[in-house]
Amino acid sequence: MNLMNQTQVTLEPSRAMAQGAGTAESSLAPIVTADVAPRAVAIGAPVSRAGIVRRALRTRSFSAVISFAVFLLLWDVIAEWLDAPIQFPSPLRVASAFVDLASGGELFEHALISTTRLAISLAVALALAVPVGFFMGLNEKANAYMDPLVELLRPISGIAWIPLALFIFGIGDVLPVFIMVYVAFFPLLLSTIAGVRNVDPKFVNAARTMGVGRAALLRKVIVPAALPTVMVGFRLAFAGAWAAIIAAELIGSPSGLGFAIEWYRELLMSPKVFAFIAVIGIVGYLCDLGLRALQRRLTPWAEGTGLA
Amino acid sequence: MTTTVAPKSTAPTRILQMTLLPVILIIVWQLWAMLLASDPRTPVPTRIVTTFVDLVANGGLVGALVQSLTRVVSGFAIAFVFGATLGLLMGSYPRLRNLLDPIIETFRPLAPMAILPIVLLWFGTGTPAATAIVTYAAFFPLLLNTVHGVSRVDRKLVLAASTMGVSKPVILARVVLPAALPSVMLGARLAMGIAWTAIIAAELGVGAKSGGGTSGGIGQMMFVFYSYSIDLNAIVVCMIVVGVVALAIDRIFRFAERRLMPWRQ
Repeated sequence: MNLMNQTQVTLEPSRAMAQGAGTAESSLAPIVTADVAPRAVAIGAPVSRAGIVRRALRTRSFSAVISFAVFLLLWDVIAEWLDAPIQFPSPLRVASAFVDLASGGELFEHALISTTRLAISLAVALALAVPVGFFMGLNEKANAYMDPLVELLRPISGIAWIPLALFIFGIGDVLPVFIMVYVAFFPLLLSTIAGVRNVDPKFVNAARTMGVGRAALLRKVIVPAALPTVMVGFRLAFAGAWAAIIAAELIGSPSGLGFAIEWYRELLMSPKVFAFIAVIGIVGYLCDLGLRALQRRLTPWAEGTGLA
Repeated sequence: MTTTVAPKSTAPTRILQMTLLPVILIIVWQLWAMLLASDPRTPVPTRIVTTFVDLVANGGLVGALVQSLTRVVSGFAIAFVFGATLGLLMGSYPRLRNLLDPIIETFRPLAPMAILPIVLLWFGTGTPAATAIVTYAAFFPLLLNTVHGVSRVDRKLVLAASTMGVSKPVILARVVLPAALPSVMLGARLAMGIAWTAIIAAELGVGAKSGGGTSGGIGQMMFVFYSYSIDLNAIVVCMIVVGVVALAIDRIFRFAERRLMPWRQ
């Protein structure tokens, strides 16, 4: 249960932000900035040219452009002022390093290695955690016995497994995959258990009353009802795994994005370090976008329940 | 919450349920390590216990733990000052929030370890580097939960206060802040958990990249046990300590949440 509290609230802020752009519900704006009056007038009044401009200034995409422009400008100014190309390369040099790496194909090579490892680990974690989660969620007794073991292992972070796993698996492909499977396992397991246990008893009772068998009950009632929570767990599992792979590759792998940033750091080729860090961010962002889309496709019925 | 109400189990059953699987696991591990494992360095439960006693007795473990915790606390404190202040401002001023959101959302998904190379370039391989990574890791949950808490404060409360002529700073301090506190506390608990993971990663990484020289802390201790003395029992001791500390941090924050905000029960 604890986990679910966390998952909801940790995922919520970003959603609240996405929706909250300019809605009255989410802001203290009228009181603190006292701009409630002009906005109220603007709704009824015929739209003047100034009004259009002012409204454009308030849109999200426009403020994003502004903030990125200011960010890049500040970065460039600081880089010029510090004049330390190794510690603080200018955005232009990072951009050209990015183009170099992309045109040479090296960038995609490392990104592909990391994302392949990620996909394998998430698939393995899904195959392990979801069946066990269903078993524990449906079987109160099994849960009572297995939960202590889970709670014993869960506080040990995946990162802390790296030295032992290095010894067992050596430097290579298996280490990052092992660490990621471990990291992804717990959020998936706990969210599956929570999802199964929180199925509305009314649904289960209704199905039973109508004489639905056990297998059909599982397939038609419990799985669809638990799926939104499992998907939330899956997104958390992805976020954890994507953070862990950087550490795992950085310490114990001869390839991948985590390896690349540290490799170019040792060569003191900072623009390439920054470019690869940007790639890590971009790939993580794109994967999360993909997972959100998948979530909407797979569980359209979760819309508006706080789990979508 | 649950579909089936669990039958009230008696105390002995509870204890059996709590201990059965872990005990079986440890016994199987012990037997396997004693009888089947070919590598003499294989960690064994009994030797883990003696190693633990040794490490505590020679002070190495406690020293490393204190160093790691000091870094976590200082990094967390820096992150709290920045995260909570900025969160309060962004939660109160939507325009500021719209401007900063894109930047924050760009950096938020970036793993703390991804900035390790930059941190190494900027701060070298000592305490500042490890603390910087902790600060970065703890900053985002603190910021986002503060923003969330502040922007969700009941508008009626704010309106009521301003109707009664309370000034803006006072509203912020006496109305908005207490109302946002649960969210801030949640952010603090999550941030502290993430910070503890991050310090292990940072110390491991710094230790691995500086040849085991200057970083110290429990993460580096693990790396030294891996790369120099190859003492797997000691590595497992460190892992268990890391887990216990993570659990303790979580419990302390939950306890503080209950004490500070009894109305949330």
